[in-house]
Amino acid sequence: MKRRAPAPAGRFLPGIAVFVLSCLAFTGCAPKKGGDATAPIVVWVQMDPDEKARFEKNLEAYRVAHPGDSISVLTFDTENLRQQFQTQAAAGAGPDLLFGPSDQVGPLSLVKLLRPLETTLPAGAFDRFLPASLDTLDGHIWQVPDQLGNHLLLLYNKKLVPIPPATHDEFIAMGRRLTKNAGASDATYGFVMNTDESYWLAPYLGGFGGWVFDETGAPSLDTPAMVQALAFLKYLRDDAGIMPRGADYEISETLFKEGRAAMIVNGPWAIGGYRSAGIDLGAAPLPMLPNGRRPQPMVASKGYSISVNVSDAKLPRVVALVTYLTSSEAQLRDVARLGFFPSDAAAFADSTFRNDPVLVGSRAAFELGRRMPVVPEMRVVWDAMRTDLQNVMNGTKTPEEAAADMQAAAVSQIATLKE
Amino acid sequence: MIRAPRWYPYLLLVPAALVMVVVVFFPLLYNVWLSFRNMSLAHFLDHRFIGLEQYRRVFADPALYAMLARSLVWTTVNLFFHALFGVALALLLNGAVKGKAIFRALLILPWAMPQYISALTWRGMFNTEYGAINLMIKQWLHLPGIPWQTDPFWAFVAPIIVNIWLGFPFIMVVTLGGLSAIPVHLYEAADLDGATWWQKFRNVTWPQLTPVLAPALILGTVWTFNNLNVIWLVSRGGQPGDRTHILVTYLYKVAFSYSRYSFSAAFSVIVLLLLLVFLLFAMKRLAPAEAR
Repeated sequence: MKRRAPAPAGRFLPGIAVFVLSCLAFTGCAPKKGGDATAPIVVWVQMDPDEKARFEKNLEAYRVAHPGDSISVLTFDTENLRQQFQTQAAAGAGPDLLFGPSDQVGPLSLVKLLRPLETTLPAGAFDRFLPASLDTLDGHIWQVPDQLGNHLLLLYNKKLVPIPPATHDEFIAMGRRLTKNAGASDATYGFVMNTDESYWLAPYLGGFGGWVFDETGAPSLDTPAMVQALAFLKYLRDDAGIMPRGADYEISETLFKEGRAAMIVNGPWAIGGYRSAGIDLGAAPLPMLPNGRRPQPMVASKGYSISVNVSDAKLPRVVALVTYLTSSEAQLRDVARLGFFPSDAAAFADSTFRNDPVLVGSRAAFELGRRMPVVPEMRVVWDAMRTDLQNVMNGTKTPEEAAADMQAAAVSQIATLKE
Repeated sequence: MIRAPRWYPYLLLVPAALVMVVVVFFPLLYNVWLSFRNMSLAHFLDHRFIGLEQYRRVFADPALYAMLARSLVWTTVNLFFHALFGVALALLLNGAVKGKAIFRALLILPWAMPQYISALTWRGMFNTEYGAINLMIKQWLHLPGIPWQTDPFWAFVAPIIVNIWLGFPFIMVVTLGGLSAIPVHLYEAADLDGATWWQKFRNVTWPQLTPVLAPALILGTVWTFNNLNVIWLVSRGGQPGDRTHILVTYLYKVAFSYSRYSFSAAFSVIVLLLLLVFLLFAMKRLAPAEAR
């Protein structure tokens, strides 16, 4: 019997199949408009682990109340959250909701990728929030805050520091007494702080009487206050004999959590982690400066923004979710352990914030603070400050040179933002 | 025998071509298009054509020349050590070494690890106070630690060390392949002539290796010149004080921190042209060597 030769078309089928499949593969790349009222709500967040755990609990509670409403969550770091959102939202995709620090609304509102919330949310929706937790930019509110704070404060290990230092001299004396074998692998330190980041420089700028912008909104970095702040940080790290030289954020954290550093400058976001590490924690405003004033931390909130790409059909579900996540109930969940303040006025009045000693100390620090500007220029200023702060710390510039250079860098970079 | 229709080979090429169009040609053309516009934070959705203005701004930016110089140092130093260590280790491994397979596997490891994991691990090891490297320097050599992360010079040396470590296995593997292809009779003839080790290397091994090594070094140059990960991760985005940037890391920062999309598009077109000129020049020089 003769074997039949396969039909020509059959021989070429694999090739044709590959062609068809490869064409199909590309159809999946089209951005989803999210117009479907039943499509999952996509939330992108920048959260610390403890914050995220609280968020998951709140989400769980929301799901119980809204069965069938599907929500998907992706976590990013601060920079990637903004960058990825900017890229994807411009292409008509990206998440429906975005959770992060308040200053991200500066650039994102400028590029028109967020919905103005005072018209998106029902009238009066913002009445229940503390005024200090809301920012307006170009006359609009761009973010619903779920917390208030983000201020730097002094956190201390009560086993080593029963009472926080009241004056600058006391602070230095205490720091020196608690610093032993500096530089060795078994060293202990009186004090640690991140001296690489501009956010840590800001309170000292304020404490010496300066501020990042002048009344016209132009950067004001080349000031005697900035010179003093830079010189003070350099003195603290190199000459005061109270802290390690190579301590960045992570190493400061580790030293403090291991009980090898007695005092640390950090924000409320770190409180939960220190408690979990078994530190007997105390909180107070940042130690007094030689001029008799306290450093002035920047105060900010974190919260939810709504993408311009959310369709009108989907909007009610997104608004319902944001409303729950920023409700008094959701804000009070685990709040004492987390250590930041609610933005909801009723929640803020809760007795927890008058009874928990760490929160009381944190509140005292918070009340010395000043609201961080959310204008897009702020990130340029942060960057200019960081660069020359590091140049002072590594000895390549004097504080005077650094202050002049950071001002020049900020001014020229702000000009490029507008070009 | 059944002959395939004329169009059939083209059909088979379509999937690959389609992928190339979508992931290579389109972004490239889009980038060039963007470089003639003014897309930035202020003109994010309403950008317009502004001709060569962005190119003028790039050339007027003093950063360009500093970064270019640093890129050249970065590429040259890396390539030199990649070639030196790669060829030397390949020659050693090609001889009669005990446990050759184990050494070979160990030496390829840096290449096999995901780059960012290596880079982040190295960054930890370079910490001034607590990093393994300074601990060893202090404990065993009794020298003061090196300020790997705070001094601009050392902060640039650190990523170079990491990249040398990451890059030599590639040259080593290519060289090993090249060595195994050299006919044994050439060495036998050299032995008969009484050639020394150096004479054999100089007159047999090296000329036979160049056709294999040259394309690898050209590829290595382009990869190194455009290597964003290592510098970005080891120096935490150009720290301290933006003094460790090379062209591509600076470009990345300008594009994604400051959202100066069109400016950085023009910048990257210039980087592309630089590399293109280098490639054309290098390939022209090497073409006769390959044809031999």
